[in-house]
Amino acid sequence: MFELFTAMVKEEWRVHSTMFGNLSFALFPVMIFGIAFMGSFLLPLMKNTLPAGNLTLIVHANYLMLGIMVGAFGLLGNEVMNRRFGQASLLSYSARSLPLSERFIFANFVIKDTVYYFFLWVLPFGFGYILASPFIGVPLVNALLLLLTLALSFLFGLCGVFFLSAVYARSRLSLLLILLATGAGLAGLAVMTGMNPVLFFPPLLLNSSFTWANFLISCALLALLFSVAIVLFSPESVGSEKTYKDSFAPLMRRFSFLPDPPLTAKDSLDLIRSGSLVGQTIFSFLLPLAVIWFFLSLLGPFFPPHGLLFLLAVTTGVIASTMYTWVTMFDTFGPYACLPVAVSTLIGSKLTTFAVLQVIPAVFIASVALLSGEIAYLVPAVVLALSVAFYAVGVIAWLCGLSPSVLVYDVKVLFIYLILVGIVLTIFTAVAFANPYYALSSVILIVPTWLLVEKAKIRWDALDPAGF
Amino acid sequence: MTTVIETRDLSKTYGDVQAVNRVNLSVEKGALFGLLGPNGSGKTTMIKMLTGQTRPTGGSATVLGVDTIRDPVGVRGLVGIIPEQETPPSFLTAMEYLEFVAAVRKIPDIGQKADWWFDFLDFADKKNVLCKDLSRGTRQKLMFTQAFIHEPVLALIDEPLINFDPIMQDLVKDYLAGYVKNGRTIFISTHILEVAEEICSGFAILHKGALLHSGPVSELTARGEHLPSFFLSLIRKDRHV
Repeated sequence: MFELFTAMVKEEWRVHSTMFGNLSFALFPVMIFGIAFMGSFLLPLMKNTLPAGNLTLIVHANYLMLGIMVGAFGLLGNEVMNRRFGQASLLSYSARSLPLSERFIFANFVIKDTVYYFFLWVLPFGFGYILASPFIGVPLVNALLLLLTLALSFLFGLCGVFFLSAVYARSRLSLLLILLATGAGLAGLAVMTGMNPVLFFPPLLLNSSFTWANFLISCALLALLFSVAIVLFSPESVGSEKTYKDSFAPLMRRFSFLPDPPLTAKDSLDLIRSGSLVGQTIFSFLLPLAVIWFFLSLLGPFFPPHGLLFLLAVTTGVIASTMYTWVTMFDTFGPYACLPVAVSTLIGSKLTTFAVLQVIPAVFIASVALLSGEIAYLVPAVVLALSVAFYAVGVIAWLCGLSPSVLVYDVKVLFIYLILVGIVLTIFTAVAFANPYYALSSVILIVPTWLLVEKAKIRWDALDPAGF
Repeated sequence: MTTVIETRDLSKTYGDVQAVNRVNLSVEKGALFGLLGPNGSGKTTMIKMLTGQTRPTGGSATVLGVDTIRDPVGVRGLVGIIPEQETPPSFLTAMEYLEFVAAVRKIPDIGQKADWWFDFLDFADKKNVLCKDLSRGTRQKLMFTQAFIHEPVLALIDEPLINFDPIMQDLVKDYLAGYVKNGRTIFISTHILEVAEEICSGFAILHKGALLHSGPVSELTARGEHLPSFFLSLIRKDRHV
């Protein structure tokens, strides 16, 4: 039913454009286009230090990760409809008022996400490169091929997460078995061929040498992931009542050393009971970082010794900062509006919960340091990751308040975020490359972080609480 | 008489829409005051401004002597509020939500009070159910409980009866009528005119954001008029202006 699909696309557009204005949102793909177009002119310069194949690798990794992030956002099994749409959307509830099944709506939702984000992210980037290609001596056919393979990378991320989250909603054991089998398969491939299994990623294979057979195999794989996700999708059963014994009071006592124990206890129960703590950790944190680690490992020769660890630490910091969305996605300011709670108090409590969650990136980077035999740099790497995470979340809190997952599509917000975070990342990556122990200097970021958080509290207290 | 709510030229615009237009209103202590008006007349916006949930674009308001613009959190600390649409947080149980409210409001030991409310509103069997799984009516009971559990001197409630069955409506109406007898005040927004006539001591009528009338219900009854017919004639007259 094409009507539902078009209505969902319109709804998504209107949700975004209502939040930050038609122009601000319309400029978002224009900005992506501009970045790609202008960035393309740097390619001849970059070729001297980084071979073109590796640049292709990085761009494909980014689009794969983008697909994973878009798919993972809110797509966690039974919570899918509520999380993604909440009460604000009417279309997600059309199964209750129209003769449409939840599965049919979900299928439309998946297709809508694919098309919508293709036009929002993938096409503008590819188009920027295509337009720049005559000026930088890249054949048009190569630029078109890049657009195709980037789209496929994005779709692999998106459909892969839809598939995994659908399996996760049905059986966590099955998900674990699939992940283990995939890991074993990749390890086996690496042993048998002596090559990094990332090089067998279908879009990369296609990009290096296009064949119709490989293209059809890629499409078939995507169709398989997509179909299985639709078949396995399990809508939340209407009328089910989950009961729990009282955990709030004990948890609040345990958090009594924190500034706002009741708010932190509530956020913790949200994360645990919704399945988000496990689901988001896997899909929005470990999976993207594992993919990045794989891809970065191919670039090892182009970094200084230990560079890979610190580059991963910086990346981990950036991805860890998105954990702020995990704790802000459950509620708007609405439920607190009848209580003596200021927006600044809520921002503070969400940041406290965020701080508690930082044990996850800390353990991750420590594990990477141990596994890669770089235990000597464990402390600087962890410090760098956490400093970047706290600084980036300070920027997010200042720019987006309690609505980071929606305001990120405001072109002004994203631009300022990229500038503020990008500069810091560049500086501290260079510092860590110069001397691994210099990474400890990143603790200085605590100063701008504190200033940003204080500014965020003042800024968002002065505005009417947003209803999204 | 002590004034508990006072507004001066209170106004709110959303873009081009004038939701509330220079409203001057005062509510005395001990009143059960009804704010009446058709859909979209500005009732919810009024309650939001009075409870510091949204900032006025003009004028001022004090609630229990506190300026709602300067200290919105202070106002919310003093009063009880039932918002029109908001529901309790999804992943807490009903009991946990009340504990959460008590902790935020710094009310010690709410166990017995909570049990009284669970029994009074007849939802003790839902005590340990996640809020997201509660029916609309039960959520409304929970929101009603959170507004009154700290026994505020003033409660501002937006359409409190809309999701209740007739038995529960009757129970709640009696509770509200009894609540104000101890000198406490209730400010209620509703478009159920019969209920307003039955329980309210004073009322105001809003239409298109403007205050059309404000006064005691007894004035009407003394004239032999009924609130519903008075309301309808006033609104119809205003539509023709």
